[in-house]
Order: sequence, then structure tokens, then C-alpha cells
Amino acid sequence: MKWLLDILKGTWLGHPLHPILAHIPMAMWPGALIFDLLSQREIGGNAMVRLSFYAIAFGLVTALVAVPTGLVDWSGIKKEKPAWKIGLYHMLLNLVVAILFAVNLYLRWPTFREATEVDPIPLLLSAIGTLIVIGSSYLGGRMVYEYGISVARMSKKKWRQLAAAGGANLPPE
Amino acid sequence: MLKDLLEGKPLRHPIHPMLVHFPIGLFILSFILDLVGLAPSPRPFLVSAAFYAMLLGVITALLAAVPGFVDYTDIRRDHPGKTTATGHMVLNLLAVALYAINLWLRILALNNSKVGLTPLILSFVGIGLLSASGYLGGRLVYDEGIAVGRHKRRTPAPQETIELPRTKSGFVPVPQAEQLRDQETFRAEIDGCVLTIVRIGKALFAFQEFCTHRFGPLSEGAFDGFNVQCPWHNSCFDVRTGKVTNGPAKVDLKTFKMEMRDGKVGVLMTRNHDQKT
Repeated sequence: MKWLLDILKGTWLGHPLHPILAHIPMAMWPGALIFDLLSQREIGGNAMVRLSFYAIAFGLVTALVAVPTGLVDWSGIKKEKPAWKIGLYHMLLNLVVAILFAVNLYLRWPTFREATEVDPIPLLLSAIGTLIVIGSSYLGGRMVYEYGISVARMSKKKWRQLAAAGGANLPPE
Repeated sequence: MLKDLLEGKPLRHPIHPMLVHFPIGLFILSFILDLVGLAPSPRPFLVSAAFYAMLLGVITALLAAVPGFVDYTDIRRDHPGKTTATGHMVLNLLAVALYAINLWLRILALNNSKVGLTPLILSFVGIGLLSASGYLGGRLVYDEGIAVGRHKRRTPAPQETIELPRTKSGFVPVPQAEQLRDQETFRAEIDGCVLTIVRIGKALFAFQEFCTHRFGPLSEGAFDGFNVQCPWHNSCFDVRTGKVTNGPAKVDLKTFKMEMRDGKVGVLMTRNHDQKT
């Protein structure tokens, strides 16, 4: 089991895995909204409609892969810490947004091969989804930049050596 | 101030890592569409789709470069992450240049049913560069703590570490400390020992630079009264005694005495410095 946790945490890579994977849905879904809006302005024709469809699909697949990595990172946070609650909201929002884009994709399925313009309802779903994914990613970023989640998790040995070399007080190993 | 805006201080979140999602995701999408387009049956729409994804990628990459450069200049000159940051920047500039050429080659062939070999190879190389630079960018955050907790600080962080010679008496003059303004810090290294000197009101305090939790840089910490808060995981210490006032840290900081000798301000480096209780 430990090897699986190490894979999910990104220990093998020296970099947490969840924030890497999260780049894809975070880019794909707002990107899909932009492509939708362009297609409504008659830019790109069917290629733009398809591009939006592919972007949503790629985002969904990666989001699913990112779920276990996020859960593992979250499980490492103590429940009484503020970051735990933020992580919970981050997860719930991500769940909502993934469902929205799954519905969105489903609605596009019958027409995306021919259409030259994205329909209003999928467009609206993209807009709502984009807002939510920005909100949830912001929370994810706050976990890192405000509460230091995963920060110095893998580099603490290096920092300890620097601190120890100067005779600083150290935490027990 | 424009610098604070570009560093994302009002948002309490750096801007550069927010924007980089777009070029990373879109360039990868563009490359995947290229690969799908290699299948025997012609799919001309993929040529356009890959182009549009790349175009938006280049636009967002240029947008991300601006706050990225500001973040870069804010890293302390002697920070161990500075070289990583330089590598990150050079790789990104290279990748964007390649993608600009790539786009231009694709504009000329937008009506083709398949993507050309040169743009495809350029995309492949671009993904390689991007993966490497993205990885380095992540290491800057997760290993070096760059931009972590930066928004909590009200005064500018020190731009370099000043190395001071050790003296026989143990009293090391630090004339620069007199120029510090309220809540400003000075990062000094004396005989391998790195310490932070801060002015709080009229008094100067000196303590070990590295937090006793995961060794975050206290010279970049936020000050509130006599408390210093580590930028990384928000441990708090009393600068007068070094005592932990808030976790996660459990071990007190080593503190050093600031003194005036012959009209010069300095720090007393003693071998076995006892902590006041």
C-alpha cells in the first residue's frame, strides 16, 4: 500500500502529483468556454465546436485521474487545521464542476460533429463550470500559498542540513 | 502598487502559477490533437483545432510571463532556488519562441488535411521543454517555498544575505541593522549560522533564520507585535525569547543578543547561547 501512496503523492517525482494533474482541467474548461464564445462569433466553424468538445473531454479524463492524488494529499492534513476545511470545499466544488462538464459533454455529443456553433445551454454550462473551477482552484492554491500544504514536504532534509550546519535549533527527526 | 498587484497580494495568491495552467494545458491538448490527426483517415478539423489551442496557449503564455518575471526578480539573489528559477525562465522563453515559430508554420498550412512534420516535431520538443520548465516551476514552490506566504508580509523581504566575519569576542558589528525600518529584516550569515535581524519599533532582535518546523525562512516572515510568523506553515515565535507562540512548530528558536558597543550596534554570537525562559 505504501508504494501506491508514494506514487499518488508524487514522492517518486520529487513533486506533488495533484497540482500537476490539476493544470489540465483548470486549463481545459475555461478554455472550452473561450472556444464556445469564439464559435458563437462564427470563428473557427466546426473545428472550434470540436475543439471545445475535445477540451472538455480531456479535462474530464484528467480530473478523474487527479481525484485519488488529491484525496491522498488531503488525507495528510490534520482535521483541526484550516486547510482541511478548505480542502473539503475544494473537493466538493470539484465534484460539482466535474458533474457539470460531464452533462455538458453529454449534451454536445449528438451535434458536435456537424455543428458550427455551440448551443446556448452547453455554453451556459461552460460559463458556470468555469466560474466554479476558478473558485475551487483558487481554494486549492490557497492551501499551498497560505497554509503551505505540500511545501517542503520533500525538501525538508535539504533545509534541515542547512539549518543544522549553522547550529540552529531543530525539530526532532 | 503595480508590483504588489502582479505578485497577487490583493488576491493573497500569486498570479503566475494561476495563469500557467493555460499554456501547459492548451499546448498538451494541441499536441494530442496532432497525434490523433496522424491516423490514416483525413481529419482536417483537427489541423484547425490544434492551431486554435496553440494560439490561445501562446497568448496565455505571454500573459503569464509578466507576473512570472516579477516573481523572479523578487527571489533573494543568493536563494538556492534562484538558479532553478533562471532555468525555469530560460526554458519557458525557449518554449514560447518555438511555439511562435510553430504557429507561424501552421498559419501557412491551415487548409491542409494533415499537420506537417516540422510543426509536429516542434510541438513534440515544445512539450518536452514545457514539462521540464513546469516541473522546475513546481519545485520552486514545493521545495523552495517561493511565493508561499509572501502576501502575508507588509515590508519588502531582504534581497540578499550579508555575510559577516566572525570575531574573537563574539560581538559582530552589524551597522546595516541601524538602517532597518519598523518590521524590516536583515538576513545575515556569520560563520555558517544564518540569522534574521528585525527592527520592532525602536528595538532590534536577532534569531535563527530557519523555522523549527520545516525550516521556512523567517527573514521573509510577517511581523505582528513581537511575533514573527513563518511564511510557509504559519508557525509563530516571540522574537524576544524565541518561544513558540503558535504551532505547528514545537521547538523554540535560538535567539541572539543585540548590543551597542563603542557606538556600534552588533549581534553577540555565543557558542552555547542559553535561551531565556
